[in-house]
Amino acid sequence: MLEQLLIFTRGGLILWTCKELGNALRGSPIDTLIRSCLLEERSADGVFNYDAPGAAAYTLKWTFHNELGLVFVAIYQRILHLLYVDELLYAMRQEFSHIYDPKRTAYDEFDEIFRQLHMEAEARAEEMRKLKQAGKAAPLLGKKQLQGPSQRGVQQGGRKQKIGSNIGSATDEDGADSEKHRGLVNNSSNGHQNGTKESIARKGKENGPPESGAFDVNKLQKLRAKGSKKNASAVISKTSKEEPKKNVKMNRVWGDSPPSESKLDFTNPGDESGEGVVEVVSADQGDSMMDKEEIVSSESEDEEDDKLEGAKSSVKKGWFSSMFQSISGNSVLEKSDLQPALKALKDRLMTKNVAEEIAEKLCESVAASLEGKKLGSFTRISSTVQAAMEEALLRILTPKRSIDILRDVHAAKEQGKPYVIVFVGVNGVGKSTNLAKVAYWLLQHEISVMLAACDTFRSGAVEQLRTHARRLQIPIFEKGYEKDPAIVAKEAIQEASRNKSDVVLVDTAGRMQDNEPLMRALSKLINLNNPDLVLFVGEALVGMMLWINFPSLTRN
Amino acid sequence: MELWMHQIERWFQQAEQWIRQQPAEQLYLTIAVVFIASILLILLRSFNPSKSNIIVLAGLSGSGKTILFYQLRDGSSHQGTVTSMEPNDDIFVLHSEVDKKAKTKPVHVVDVPGHSRLRPKLDVFLPQAAGLVFVVDALDFLPNCRVAAEYLYDILTKASIVKKKIPVLILCNKTDKVTAHSKEFIRKQLEKEIDKLRTSRTAISTADVTNEYTLGVPGEPFSFSHCQNQVTVAEASGLTGEVSQAEHFIREHVKP
Repeated sequence: MLEQLLIFTRGGLILWTCKELGNALRGSPIDTLIRSCLLEERSADGVFNYDAPGAAAYTLKWTFHNELGLVFVAIYQRILHLLYVDELLYAMRQEFSHIYDPKRTAYDEFDEIFRQLHMEAEARAEEMRKLKQAGKAAPLLGKKQLQGPSQRGVQQGGRKQKIGSNIGSATDEDGADSEKHRGLVNNSSNGHQNGTKESIARKGKENGPPESGAFDVNKLQKLRAKGSKKNASAVISKTSKEEPKKNVKMNRVWGDSPPSESKLDFTNPGDESGEGVVEVVSADQGDSMMDKEEIVSSESEDEEDDKLEGAKSSVKKGWFSSMFQSISGNSVLEKSDLQPALKALKDRLMTKNVAEEIAEKLCESVAASLEGKKLGSFTRISSTVQAAMEEALLRILTPKRSIDILRDVHAAKEQGKPYVIVFVGVNGVGKSTNLAKVAYWLLQHEISVMLAACDTFRSGAVEQLRTHARRLQIPIFEKGYEKDPAIVAKEAIQEASRNKSDVVLVDTAGRMQDNEPLMRALSKLINLNNPDLVLFVGEALVGMMLWINFPSLTRN
Repeated sequence: MELWMHQIERWFQQAEQWIRQQPAEQLYLTIAVVFIASILLILLRSFNPSKSNIIVLAGLSGSGKTILFYQLRDGSSHQGTVTSMEPNDDIFVLHSEVDKKAKTKPVHVVDVPGHSRLRPKLDVFLPQAAGLVFVVDALDFLPNCRVAAEYLYDILTKASIVKKKIPVLILCNKTDKVTAHSKEFIRKQLEKEIDKLRTSRTAISTADVTNEYTLGVPGEPFSFSHCQNQVTVAEASGLTGEVSQAEHFIREHVKP
């Protein structure tokens, strides 16, 4: 069950909460979500897991309405895998955008609408679960016969439900479950799902991340059913983004479908949200009635054609109309519009030596924040995207806290403990050298320093530090080579608190990030001694390498 | 070439004739209108350098700025708030003054998010600020004392604040709770922290310094009276709506 649902503005005011689910949340999941996810440019993930103090584990899902500046968040217990949350959020977003008014701050009438949407979503989820259970009970053999009529019944039942809903969410889970089907996947069901998915995708233009997709299957089925390259290419382009899945056994297709029958059904294919649903459905629809399958495929074919035409017409839109729209400023940004501009920006980031994964994530996050926004007048898409990207980068690069070492040292001094700084990094970046320079700087500010030689591996490391210490005239704690650095550091800190040094600078051996045992040794050192500051020394010339190093080091 | 000149001459003559034909009053009228319009434009340009009439609400994340904003505007905190991701910017008449008969001028209040990643947003609004309200959480003060003092120090040493002598009000929020600290205590703690910051920040070499100005009198412990701009401390409670001291500050510094 859902714990809480919220709608709030980006400025922070809560516009609506679900009054029925009045459970008090433990901890502060929403604030944590905002701080650690949305503001960290991870808004493209869609899911966030929060562990509240007090053994409550929540999962949060959200969606944005970028034009109005609203955020819709749903919270539920992590152990429950609620599958209708995504579609519920999208439905809420659509409904709420009709009644939203910037001047208003109370939206009580939304309670009614929400209750309806919630019931529908739950009912659908229930149906799917029941079908799944019913489907599992059917025997494998002879399924084809049995599942024919039941399949039709299911489909009609499914369709009836769809009439009631007005949702445009992506049915990611559809493909997943058709995959899970034990080998007798019904192509009609796949086609059906694919058709619904496409129609939904067409309507809502939301290609949510397909977690799986028997889309190769669908693609092949379409190829056979239609036998036209045109559609195949459309399907391929459509499914190219989706993960390839294992091939499943295909049904035979007998000729072309009568198009007229399918056109009569204009119901909004509601989503079979819920993995259970799709699985069940596919289980039921064994070997389809040829007609059924053809209707389905033709329905999907219609949608394919429509999509193709749409694509064609959008291609014709081209330069002239986009120029008009940029001047008039009324076009709504779609993901497809953003893609080329984002790709260009991503390439630029990568040429500036930013790691590919990070650039990708950043672009996704910027896309999530721009989708659905209206273009201002006289602005091009590329300039809007660039502005958004700049803002996102500025946000990421703004330091969370200012590092004022002198202040921290004084604070530690007041508490009577030495301030411990550990220098880490890969080989040869200049840890020992910088350590000596930092020691000199601290000495200039009248802070007593002590060095700790915890690089017990490299020959000459201890002598190097000894020379530095002699030049600076500061004490050094050393234990020679081949000793455990964690123990050496611990004793060094004890020694420092004995002779009242303010700061302890700990030098460690250089290590590569993919060296597991060394990384473990480093984490042991850090956990045992709890330093106040861990300085990662890296070369300024190195870009991508730094990112590869960093996560492994921070993992410890 | 000559042909052109001939053409131009002829046009001139035609224009002259046409002007002569117009009744004199009309001519004078048009000239007068053009003259007045240009004078007005010049006047407006010269008397509108940069309007500073914004009241900025700043402070750490979670100190209660957004609630305060909505209290000032609507008189109620509605259904609560979450961490702001964007500034709240509105021009409105203070809620407590809505009922007054006299025409009260609307104030322009901006609530800047307190999250550390969104600090740069403050600089967007400072050039036009007429006053700054620094909101401090009086309930949870001691754990955040250092961070709050750092933020306050950064604000007090910004060029725009020092040069224009923008008045700052340190507002201790959440005073309706029993364990909230008093404003005197908070003031003293902040002064002590800023004193320490002064020494550590000035010790950094000039290549690193990010604070444009230094505060206070060297050699003496820092006190808010050393600031060139006016710094006052007041109390408020966002949830219960007790924001009269803040409103007083706003009224004082926004020309009515």
